[in-house]
Amino acid sequence: MSDVHLDGNGVAGLLGEILAVEVTTVLRTCQTCGDRRAIGEHRAYRGAGVVLRCPSCGDVALRVGTRPERLTVELRGAFEVTPRA
Amino acid sequence: MAPLSRGFHGRRREGADPSRLPPGQYLTPDFPVLSAGPTPRTRLDDWSFTIDGLLDAPLSWTWEELLALPSETFTVDIHCVTKWSKLDTAWAGVSVDTLLDGVTTEAEHVVAWSDGDYTTNLPLEDVSDGKAWVVHTYDGEPLEPEHGGPARLLVPHLYFWKSAKWVRGLRLTAENEPGFWESVGYHDYGDPWREQRYWSD
Amino acid sequence: MTPPVPVLWRTATVRDVVAETAHARTLVLDAPGWPGHRAGQHLDLRLTAEDGYQAQRSYSIASAPEAAALEITVEVIDDGEVSPYLVEEVRPGDELEVRGPIGGHFTWSVADGGPLLLVAGGSGLVPLMAMLRHRAAQASDVAAHVLVSARGEQDVLYGDELAALEPRDGLRVARTYTRVRPQGWTGWARRVDAAMLDALGPAPGAGARCFVCGPTPFVERVAQLLVDAGHEARAVHTERFGPTGG
Repeated sequence: MSDVHLDGNGVAGLLGEILAVEVTTVLRTCQTCGDRRAIGEHRAYRGAGVVLRCPSCGDVALRVGTRPERLTVELRGAFEVTPRA
Repeated sequence: MAPLSRGFHGRRREGADPSRLPPGQYLTPDFPVLSAGPTPRTRLDDWSFTIDGLLDAPLSWTWEELLALPSETFTVDIHCVTKWSKLDTAWAGVSVDTLLDGVTTEAEHVVAWSDGDYTTNLPLEDVSDGKAWVVHTYDGEPLEPEHGGPARLLVPHLYFWKSAKWVRGLRLTAENEPGFWESVGYHDYGDPWREQRYWSD
Repeated sequence: MTPPVPVLWRTATVRDVVAETAHARTLVLDAPGWPGHRAGQHLDLRLTAEDGYQAQRSYSIASAPEAAALEITVEVIDDGEVSPYLVEEVRPGDELEVRGPIGGHFTWSVADGGPLLLVAGGSGLVPLMAMLRHRAAQASDVAAHVLVSARGEQDVLYGDELAALEPRDGLRVARTYTRVRPQGWTGWARRVDAAMLDALGPAPGAGARCFVCGPTPFVERVAQLLVDAGHEARAVHTERFGPTGG
């Protein structure tokens, strides 16, 4: 394999800015294949911005445009988020 | 106010020819690999390049047919929105003019699409008149999969995300249709000399 | 349980630097207000140049949660931008910015139990060392089997500390050298493979918690070997390193 992905852990700092929770343990159910996996297990790619992909089917879970002062985010699938106490 | 990191300079711009390095960019001798997804593995037997959308009949070439078209060899500078620039990169491939030869269309835009569902949008005039190629050779060798092989679009006057890796076709459209990155904040046009990185730039 | 949001940048002062190998060293940081961490977590580190240019990277935390200071171990990446600065330039008294801790997926504490199987490729040992240090600090006897893959003996991080930890209290540490075989070495000298993992144990079915850390191709391969051997896929935790520009 010559993939240049990291795992979701690798972009957890960035995702923390978006979701405002500890994100790597957040469970996401994929809109395409239905698998329910932790964000930390997803695959992270860096192109112009950052993409997170389902570890089972490879479909896009999250896209982030990473401009310095403003992040543009597209989320797909169902995220189970525990609010802060 | 962030504390200064004593002795840290970051990527250097020193020594770069300002006429060749767009604002905010640094030079790299490497060829960084950035990707929106896994490297696709399409067999050349199954590969084709298609032009469809706003034209009378779609056009398509097999890998063999693409290689049989007139090929151009050229050297250009490339500029990535993540701020690296690489000078004097040597390519060979088929001019998009050759692929569009004889096509009449009302389209003013194109969407380049790739294996792995990547897309990027460009004005038709920016892939015309010697400004864009479908390249299959880098530095005299077949283009490596990690750099977009077997073939990628090359539009060197725009930021490099417009030069879609693993390109499989162009769709001619009347309207501008933002692509994979353009729909999450990246500039529709992406001129490095005007530093058009994001929507409001 | 959801820990606090890890987005706050705070200024840390370098208290000490410790050479680990010819290409890696540990930075000991004073980070006032640091909320504490769990073994296996990482932090983001940010540098600022005089002209305002900033560069940011992620580094695994090397120190145990019980340790008095926060430590990261950084290995130089050739042509890197940040790692050469941290390994060759930084000295005590310098200030850096850090935020974290980050990551809840690749963590272990003694309360989670074992057995443990830790597989490190190169500097992928760093977060696994935090787990071993935590285990030692808690005087835990949870079985822990560790496999360290390195190019040669000179590239093994924490070599003396690893040697001092084993072999007791259910800890077993094995090494394999992929490039340079030390003189007289009779142990493994090849890439991690199924036979190696089989010999090291714990056996699939023992319910081992597996943690694999290293470069992406290494992690891909080892994680696949573990699943193929019969370890439960959801018990195989992975953390991949770069390429993110060093």
